[in-house]
Amino acid sequence: MKIFVVIPLFNEKKHIASVIKNVSKYKLPIVVVDDGSTDGSGLKIIALRDKELRNKNVTVLTHRINLGKGAAMKTGADYAFSRGADAVIFMDSDGQHEASDLLKFIDALKDDRYDVILGSRNLNYGVPLVRFLGNKFASVLMVLLFKVYVSDVICGFRAITKDGYKKVKWDSDGYGVETEMVARIGKNKTKFSEIPVQTIYHDVVKGVTLLDAFEVLGNVVKWKLTLK
Amino acid sequence: MIIGLQIIALLFAFTMVYFAVLNYKRGELSSAEVASWVIMWIATIIIVVFPELLQDFAKTFSVARVFDLMVIGGFVVVITLVGSAYIRTKRLEKKLEDLVRRDALKNKHK
Repeated sequence: MKIFVVIPLFNEKKHIASVIKNVSKYKLPIVVVDDGSTDGSGLKIIALRDKELRNKNVTVLTHRINLGKGAAMKTGADYAFSRGADAVIFMDSDGQHEASDLLKFIDALKDDRYDVILGSRNLNYGVPLVRFLGNKFASVLMVLLFKVYVSDVICGFRAITKDGYKKVKWDSDGYGVETEMVARIGKNKTKFSEIPVQTIYHDVVKGVTLLDAFEVLGNVVKWKLTLK
Repeated sequence: MIIGLQIIALLFAFTMVYFAVLNYKRGELSSAEVASWVIMWIATIIIVVFPELLQDFAKTFSVARVFDLMVIGGFVVVITLVGSAYIRTKRLEKKLEDLVRRDALKNKHK
């Protein structure tokens, strides 16, 4: 089974090199989608790949302007599947996710029973309170509106097969992507599984803001009315 | 009070005519577009100066005062413009996203 790792990247110069080094250990093709970074993160990866890692398996795709996480994930997935991938694993670029958890995703994908594998963080430890409450609220909302229970709706560490991608391909450009995938899973009755993953919070001010959360909330209602 | 409001409305309308002409000179509006905007603002100026012109029209819609009619009309115009601007922005966003994503896939750093 050909599995690619897709990493959407936006201004993560501090963490991206260690993320790539850690993921490289697992000998999987890596696709980094630099989503219009302004801090030179993308260039840093190209230099790291060519000089230090000498890894031909790292591809860097660059969005000339920042489109958002959802668009970067879609570019990465489109690239991977067009290159013969059977599945892709999405991972954040800020070092939140442990590369060692990739093995769990690989095992779950090889099991061949599920189209989507969702990472689930232990939300009882180390998660900022606002995010914990927001995440639980999202879980309840998904049950009420889409009849699907996912313990960690917004975890970015997840995997999807080629068939799964056709079923849950998202329209969201930004941080709504994870929630939209779950909504589509519920709507299309896509086979999915959850696996526990570790998370380290480096920077609580980055990532999803309260404003993003409200935007996603509005979109959830829209998806309920419009998704087929 | 009404006179005060009329003065404000006139100043606003003249300012908008100025901006329409300015944008036309900068090449941001076509001659048809600037003509429509100027006609619309001149009509507004005439109604502001002679509100009694619309008195009968207001009565037809059971609206007591011309001022109220203008406020209702203003809301309708603003909502229409916001709606069409939203659709256009969405379309542009989608086109831009497609363009940037296609460019990224074409010019990969391998």
